[in-house]
Amino acid sequence: MTAHVEPIAPAPRISAWSRIYGFGSIFGKTLRDSRRAAIVTGGIIGLILLAVMAGVASQFGTIEARQEIKALVEAVPPILQGLAGKPVNVETLGGYASYKYGAFFPLVTGLWSILALSGTLAAETRRGSMDILAAGTRPRRRIAIEKLAGHVTVVVLAMAFVALMTAIAGSAFPVLPGDEVSPVAAVAYAGWLGLMALVAGAVAFALAPFLGRGAAVGIAGSVMFASFILNGYQLAIPELAPFANLGWFGWTSDHLPLAGQYDWPSLGVVAIVALGGFVIGIEAFARRDLGVTSTIRTPAIPTSLRGIGGPVGRATSELLPTGLSWGIGLGLFGLVLASSTGSFIEQFSKSTQLLQALEGVFPDVDFLSTGGFLQLMFIEFGLILSGLAAATLVGVWASDETSGRLEMLLATPLARARWLVSGAVGVLVAIAVVVGLAAVGIAVGGGTAGGDLATPMLGTTALGLYAAAMAGIGFAVGGVVRSGLAAPAVAIVTIVTWLVDFLAPTLGLPDAIHQLALSSHLGQPMVGVWDPAGLIACVVLAVGGVAVGAWGFSRRDLRG
Amino acid sequence: MTAIIETHQLTKSYGRHRGIVEVDLEVREGEAFGFLGPNGAGKTTMIRTLLNHLRPTSGRASIFGIDTTADPVAIHRRLGYLPGEFVLYDKLTGGQTIDYFAALRGGVDRAYQADLIARLDVDPSRKFKEYSKGNKQKIGLIVALQHRPELLLLDEPTSGLDPLVQQTFYDVIREAKAEGRTIFMSSHILSEVEKTCDRVAIIRDGRLARVDRVGALRDLAHHQVELRFSGTVPAAEFSALPGVSDVVAEDGTLRMRVNGPITPIVHAAARHEVIDFVSREPTLEETFLAEYGHGAGTPAVESAR
Repeated sequence: MTAHVEPIAPAPRISAWSRIYGFGSIFGKTLRDSRRAAIVTGGIIGLILLAVMAGVASQFGTIEARQEIKALVEAVPPILQGLAGKPVNVETLGGYASYKYGAFFPLVTGLWSILALSGTLAAETRRGSMDILAAGTRPRRRIAIEKLAGHVTVVVLAMAFVALMTAIAGSAFPVLPGDEVSPVAAVAYAGWLGLMALVAGAVAFALAPFLGRGAAVGIAGSVMFASFILNGYQLAIPELAPFANLGWFGWTSDHLPLAGQYDWPSLGVVAIVALGGFVIGIEAFARRDLGVTSTIRTPAIPTSLRGIGGPVGRATSELLPTGLSWGIGLGLFGLVLASSTGSFIEQFSKSTQLLQALEGVFPDVDFLSTGGFLQLMFIEFGLILSGLAAATLVGVWASDETSGRLEMLLATPLARARWLVSGAVGVLVAIAVVVGLAAVGIAVGGGTAGGDLATPMLGTTALGLYAAAMAGIGFAVGGVVRSGLAAPAVAIVTIVTWLVDFLAPTLGLPDAIHQLALSSHLGQPMVGVWDPAGLIACVVLAVGGVAVGAWGFSRRDLRG
Repeated sequence: MTAIIETHQLTKSYGRHRGIVEVDLEVREGEAFGFLGPNGAGKTTMIRTLLNHLRPTSGRASIFGIDTTADPVAIHRRLGYLPGEFVLYDKLTGGQTIDYFAALRGGVDRAYQADLIARLDVDPSRKFKEYSKGNKQKIGLIVALQHRPELLLLDEPTSGLDPLVQQTFYDVIREAKAEGRTIFMSSHILSEVEKTCDRVAIIRDGRLARVDRVGALRDLAHHQVELRFSGTVPAAEFSALPGVSDVVAEDGTLRMRVNGPITPIVHAAARHEVIDFVSREPTLEETFLAEYGHGAGTPAVESAR
């Protein structure tokens, strides 16, 4: 008997359109899968830099005002300096932007890279699609390289946008000598930002084949934040100084291109470490058993806290870890700010011109009080953070449908409206936790500075109301349209609201535009001045959003 | 017998895409009903529409006499459902998952729940994310069965189960049927439907192609006949016989499909020198394939030589 073997037909040609759309290769597919994260991360950072530089140029357009900013920054207590960048040439546009956001943005890009690179191989292995991919003609090493190259490419593209926005701002807004930001400085800044992202991601990429995605995210995130804290707080806590240079924030602390200061060799060190992480990750993926990881045992959560008694308990249990994380973050932020209130008030009281400038942006706020200072320094970021917290909480709620769990849940006697309302109660409990921890942070931090603490503590309720309103928008979108859109919708509304609230008075836009921002209707809650219209609007958005969502969800198809 | 599931001209479309089209169906109390069809035929859409997870585009469906869009919760209270693909809470253990669904339903017989866990051989202390596909399927089955529902809606229920556990599943289904409960089960595995179901519906391109008793469906189907001749193969003579189609002559062998009685074939064969005569009743699978025109003419023939 003879066997007749048909020759293998050549693979079908992949059309140009498919290639552009990302189906021509693993690399192309990775680019396609990363496009939203790249647009959001690069877009937000680029636009914030543009807005901040425009705002500073517009509001602090005289040499005197800039000198007062410089004096204020120099007076910032060390405990607070840890949150910001190195104060170099802060009287210039680039120097101020670098100081205000220089240390913060790498945390954002680093987190993006950690989430992407920890999951690009591990998550696909876990859901089984990697088995199919690895059984194809491409060797595992090439799969890993293509996926990695895809992520590196989107980081480069996102950072190119940041460089472009920075260069535009640096050439369009300068009003004083030294304000100009050269294209080289813009590229050097964006390049540093991209490398800081990639090195954080490289740690996760190297660990994921050994420990799995969850542990890789946890360890890489901890290393990144530890590096940030050690570098930022070495002045306030000298005992930390010897460890500051153990992380990439310490290595590159002198690279401040927007402030006119460069340290190119430090970028080389970061690049080498990132490359090392990539090589380890690629080789581990190529040589180890697919999907076999070591488990890091964590203490089991008691069954009583698992919320298996009903939908409200279940939703709350799922949402609490996210709420606790945001609460701890916001609480620490409040603690650090509140503890430095005294020093700031003293500095403000000496800077009449700065006070006048601030009142132009934030009228009717007494900055010479604990509450007034927190109204200026805490509420602005606090509202953004609480809005983004609402987005993530709504995202956790939405995961019931996006993951497919809802298919089985709604085949029980659980009504659709009850499921949505249970989720809303869970989100509200989590928001209460966030607000409670923020208030505790302010109480602990403010306790050392003295003054009236009850008013600002109560003022944090505004963050909760704002978060509840944003969550209400998410429930409405999720219920009526698609729950997968709920979290992005909340994030977008939060960011647009902040931009409108910040830019409208800064750029002298019509008041009607400023009024569109919900955050402009909250009064000054940290000094005890509440705007009933804003509070009612928050409650209406929160309750109305849930009601609209429940109505819409009972009338649409469940996503399969 | 009372109708448990009734649909009238039930249609679900996704924009321009077809789901199910004008499906008229009745499933009676206490029967096990198989729902067969290839991928994309509309089986899952049918089940999800019955559950009101999808809203009908037109037509109507009722379960227990209740319109599925009017009071789905009242219906869900009395049924158990296993989706074709599902995800549950990764951080909960299998036991916690089962308990959570028991809490959502209420009134679960703990002894029966424990019996199911033991019979399906599940370790309830492991986290859901740590289970294999088959063990996840077992958890889904327990969730669907634990409250002894009046109606079971099962979408590909034995997917991922090993043969031993499949047998346990068939036992459980037989017990449910013996207790007078109704089963509506979609499947690709025809032997499974033959084993467990009384009636079967075949869905093709969103439309019901046939509904009949499992046995009747087989009776209505064709015979596959193979004749081996010592001399010339008289293909034209057999092609002209009533009920004969798909005639293939090859290496002294004549294969044909025969609808209806095979007596004319026997008479015609008697006029020739025939070395071998094989007539085989088709399996349900071949009947099913014949409905779709996929390879029905070349089944694997087992000769009784």
